[in-house]
Amino acid sequence: MSTFRIPGKGRVDPSKPVQFTFNDKTYDGFEGDTVASALLASGQHLVGRSFKYHRPRGFLSAGSEEPNALLGIDHGPGRVEPNSRATVVEISQGLKTISQNHWPSLERDVGAINDVLYMLFSAGFYYKTFMWPKSFWNKVYEPIIRGTAGLGKSPTLPDPDIYSSRFAHCDVLVVGAGPAGLAAALEAGRSGAKVLLVDEQAELGGSLLSETDGGIDGLTGWAWLKASVDELAGMANVTLLPRTTAIGYYHQNFVGLCQRITDHLASAPEGTPRERMWKVRAKQVVLAQGAIEKPLVFDGNDRPGVMLASAARTYLNRYGVKVGASPVVVTTHDSAWLAAFDLARAGVKVVAIIDIRPIVPAHLTASASALGIEVLTSWTVTGTKGRLRISSLRAKPIHGSAAQAREFACDTLLMSGGWNPTLHLFSHSQGKLEWREDAQVFLPSKHVEQSRCAGAGNGDFGLARVLAEGAEAGVDAAMDAGFTAKASIYAVNDELDMTGISSRELPTDRNADTAKAFIDFQNDVTAKDIRLAVREGFKSIEHIKRYTTTGMATDQGKTSNINGLAIAADAVQRPVPSVGLTTFRPPYTPTTFGAFAGYNRGRLFDVTRKTSIDAWAEEHGAVFEPVALWRRAWYFPKPGEDMHAAVARECKATRDSLGIFDASTLGKIEIVGPDAAEFLNRMYTNPWSKLQPGRCRYGVLLGEDGFIRDDGVIGRLTHDRFHVTTTTGGAARVLNMMEDYLQTEFPDLKVWLTSTTEQWSVIAINGPNARNLLAPLVEGIDLSEEAFPHMSVGVGRICGVPTRLFRMSFSGERGYEVNVPARYGRAVWEKLIAEGQAYGVTPYGTETMHVLRAEKGYIIVGQDTDGTLTPDDAGLGWAIGKAKPDFVGKRSLARPDMLKTDRKHLVGLLTADPKVVLEEGAQIVLDPNQSVPMTMVGHVTSSYWSVALGRSIALAVIEGGNGRMGETVHIPMPDGTLQAEVTGTVFLDPENTRLSA
Amino acid sequence: MLLIRCPYCAAERPELEFTYGGEAHIVRPQNPSSTTDDEWRDFLYIRSNARGIHYERWRHMHGCGRFFNAVRDTVTDKFVMTYKAGLPRPDQAELEAARS
Amino acid sequence: MHTHHPLVGRALAGPHARVNMRPVEDCARFILRIDPQNLAAASTIWGGNLPPTTGGLVSASGRIATCIGPDEWYLIAPLAEQDAIESAFGELYATTIHSLVDVGHREVGITVEGPEAVLALQATIAFDIAAMPVGSGCRTIIDKAQIILLRQGPDSFRIEVWHSFADHVWNLLAGICREIELGV
Repeated sequence: MSTFRIPGKGRVDPSKPVQFTFNDKTYDGFEGDTVASALLASGQHLVGRSFKYHRPRGFLSAGSEEPNALLGIDHGPGRVEPNSRATVVEISQGLKTISQNHWPSLERDVGAINDVLYMLFSAGFYYKTFMWPKSFWNKVYEPIIRGTAGLGKSPTLPDPDIYSSRFAHCDVLVVGAGPAGLAAALEAGRSGAKVLLVDEQAELGGSLLSETDGGIDGLTGWAWLKASVDELAGMANVTLLPRTTAIGYYHQNFVGLCQRITDHLASAPEGTPRERMWKVRAKQVVLAQGAIEKPLVFDGNDRPGVMLASAARTYLNRYGVKVGASPVVVTTHDSAWLAAFDLARAGVKVVAIIDIRPIVPAHLTASASALGIEVLTSWTVTGTKGRLRISSLRAKPIHGSAAQAREFACDTLLMSGGWNPTLHLFSHSQGKLEWREDAQVFLPSKHVEQSRCAGAGNGDFGLARVLAEGAEAGVDAAMDAGFTAKASIYAVNDELDMTGISSRELPTDRNADTAKAFIDFQNDVTAKDIRLAVREGFKSIEHIKRYTTTGMATDQGKTSNINGLAIAADAVQRPVPSVGLTTFRPPYTPTTFGAFAGYNRGRLFDVTRKTSIDAWAEEHGAVFEPVALWRRAWYFPKPGEDMHAAVARECKATRDSLGIFDASTLGKIEIVGPDAAEFLNRMYTNPWSKLQPGRCRYGVLLGEDGFIRDDGVIGRLTHDRFHVTTTTGGAARVLNMMEDYLQTEFPDLKVWLTSTTEQWSVIAINGPNARNLLAPLVEGIDLSEEAFPHMSVGVGRICGVPTRLFRMSFSGERGYEVNVPARYGRAVWEKLIAEGQAYGVTPYGTETMHVLRAEKGYIIVGQDTDGTLTPDDAGLGWAIGKAKPDFVGKRSLARPDMLKTDRKHLVGLLTADPKVVLEEGAQIVLDPNQSVPMTMVGHVTSSYWSVALGRSIALAVIEGGNGRMGETVHIPMPDGTLQAEVTGTVFLDPENTRLSA
Repeated sequence: MLLIRCPYCAAERPELEFTYGGEAHIVRPQNPSSTTDDEWRDFLYIRSNARGIHYERWRHMHGCGRFFNAVRDTVTDKFVMTYKAGLPRPDQAELEAARS
Repeated sequence: MHTHHPLVGRALAGPHARVNMRPVEDCARFILRIDPQNLAAASTIWGGNLPPTTGGLVSASGRIATCIGPDEWYLIAPLAEQDAIESAFGELYATTIHSLVDVGHREVGITVEGPEAVLALQATIAFDIAAMPVGSGCRTIIDKAQIILLRQGPDSFRIEVWHSFADHVWNLLAGICREIELGV
């Protein structure tokens, strides 16, 4: 099979064969191969179909910039990943790969009809084709577009892998382990600085891995590489991270790295994460990301077998694979000649080198001549042929006639349009770019972060200069991080200067309007599309990008941006920099969602807070609901009960005798200090100075805008110590707000705040038998009606442990809230359950709690209020200490809009049909016959079946509701309009007799 | 993720430990009930929404717990300096010194 | 009366003992808030110097005091000393106002020890753990849970976390510890 493998060449390990499949056919490769190199070793160039025209495509590159060779990678059930670049996926035993974007097969694809119909698919075809009729959008166009859009297929099973993340800190982060990065890391490492050296490839070395000529300090390139990596690996202060992509560069040298840990392994120990996201804070950063070769733009530059010259060199030297038997090299840059020479020396018959330039360095033509390669300078390529693989190309002298054109039979075309420094990370860091007209490249200019660029990424391509620059960057970085270093000097053998020019579309004598000269291979954007966009009025590169979709593919335009920009600049007849460069955005290469999620999936997706009593609830069959980060028992169904039945039973038991409820999630704040009461005066609407120790009061907290933010019962334990409760969801917010006012507005007050939410388990006991249950168990607090009336608080012991006992009610029944230190919570709960059997004690959940409170018209902040209700709106005007000179939000209550009578007020609703339970959130209208859109005057905030009343009840906010008592309002629903009468909010026991029953 | 210097801890700490607190130097009137409706509206809602230098409040929420003030450039998202709550707005010279 | 600890029975020690985790025994814990000018008086009551600056930690005779804010100290003591501490500070209040609040049940303690303890904590804590001085403490955030982190030795840390967050923090760190034991 491996007819294109050259024995003895490359860095793959022939002693370790690896089998994998491509489209169900088994292929052989060696450890160290990528899918691309192994397929090429078997002569397989055709690996996919393009996005729009379904044109056959092969490998353009040998690296992460690959736009064409996107495969589905199958590591087993749930481990399927689409759009993986075959040029970077390492093979492992049993790996399955499949080609994408074709039907029925890669070789015969019906979608290729688009290629014939290409005139329909010019730039902006979406916008032009699907304009009218409007009614076609939802039913015709969008389904078709959705059906055909996209490349690979999304995985359908849950991802079984685990992902990891790690913060890390270092003195010097070096991105890229080519010669520049290695030299930088060596200097920084020798200085003693803590160094992180990362490279996206499986092996450190960068361009050194692809080149066999040249030598450093008397060693071959590969020997120097091994010595350097060995030295780095031996330094305790240096961490080497191959297979790790620096995906984003953020403020203050914060760099995201995605490390691939298991993908290249046939198997890994249980528990090994697939990928790890490093979040690195570096004192200094060295960017040595190298450069990416530019394709040439000519008709048919996308056929399988057409690839970058540097890629052919990499496949040959690094993987021992010749990409073809009869290559033609087409170039505007010296570096492609070296690919031709390497191939020729490896025994490949190089058909010709066609150089667009009129003059090329003499040493190149001399070498070509010595190797027997035909050289044509000042020639151009005007087209290629071949259905699934290039079979020939047509070339002609640039200034010659059509008669001088020649057809060259070939199985590969190796092209080079020069090199572009990889600027992505530098641009992420907001570094400024500078256009170099002579070289036709953008180069890094002003750094914004503590960073420096070195090597080809800085526009320097000679090995000697690259090493010197890397060493210097490493020294500078180490010194700036506080270490002492001195740059080594490297002696490089036989260094050749690399020169070249930049070209737009290659000159042609054919009709440019029918040429398929691709710029963005993945998105099928041609030079013609760019010029058309400019003719149609798009002048900014950002607009041209979006109109033509150039650079918007998964490769983010790594090989296409500069070609597209140069052609756009030419079309608008403006210099390149004035046309602008599209923004580079993270991530540098496609990154899995798993890597971003890290540990936060499954049970670690989010924090699930549980009370001390939660486990008891779980053991007793509770159904839970999430409330803020907590999970709370929602109801406790008995066998055969649905929620409705369980809640009805829980409500009845509580009103008839005794209910018990875990209220531990309530926020709690301990306020201590001589000014505690004054602080509460200023924060809450209510007056606090006269509240006696041993008593508690319901408090309302507003924002400065006058709207209700929170509420809760506040107990005064001693003159200087209050126990404040907040809503469950408001706990952290209220404490933050209090700290804000205390620290910044009222620093004169001698008072301190401490969160005690989790210090206490809170057990709410409600019902006529509440005192009967508690009295025998409580020590140190006289529970008699006279000594401990409604709204009391006492400190004593219950069941032998300390308690803060509140007498209060959120149900309308006689109620107590037993606070005990949290670790006693479950034991006290169990004791109360046991002792409560005499009264048929019934545990209830949040749903019953909601029903009981709604029957009494007690609001839930955040459900019955929404941040636009004042105390008066919510019927809580009685809780305002009107004599107080100030409290947070007081002034706002006097603003004109707050005094309007048509504000939304909280009211009760009783449906005309008592069996109908309204839907929470349902909109309310006054005129049911009004045409749509109707005038909505409010909505239902709370709605339940009340077993106590034998009918439904609801709370709602309605414009001018206080003035509509007794009126009928209408609630339009999908299957009919409902009627309800506006009432007060208290449905049960308005005289509050039950509180002391 | 930014690093933010807490003026109370006198240390740079990760942004994760901090929460944002809106514009700084919005003084709550000593006696709100004596303010006009317009004055009170301005206090409640009118903010500078600066492009460039912005004075703002942060809290070292998951650290020392202190509210403090910061000068941040809203164009570059970079902090120029931070200072303790209650201190006056730094003057131009102080900002220049902090920048260099 | 029984106590129920959210991490009861848990312990984690990998085969290579790179990181070990265990819950600490129940103890008395307080948040002390006091004007720093009155710190000397509070130190007298505490029976040892309270560290004056944020981050400071003083550990002696089974008691640990950490300054976690300009006027805030986190105090840890043996359970048996709880009442004595409370009543001593109660007496101090008459002459020197302050706030002492019992948070003994609010928090759960977890020790993280071993040669890779720094690495385990660094995985999810954003500041440079290696640079955290031995004998210091601070409030910080681990994933989504606020904690107080004490560094008692080069390889010895203690996390104090609200009990409802303890399970999350434990599970998170346990996963990281397994990863470290695998050596990847």
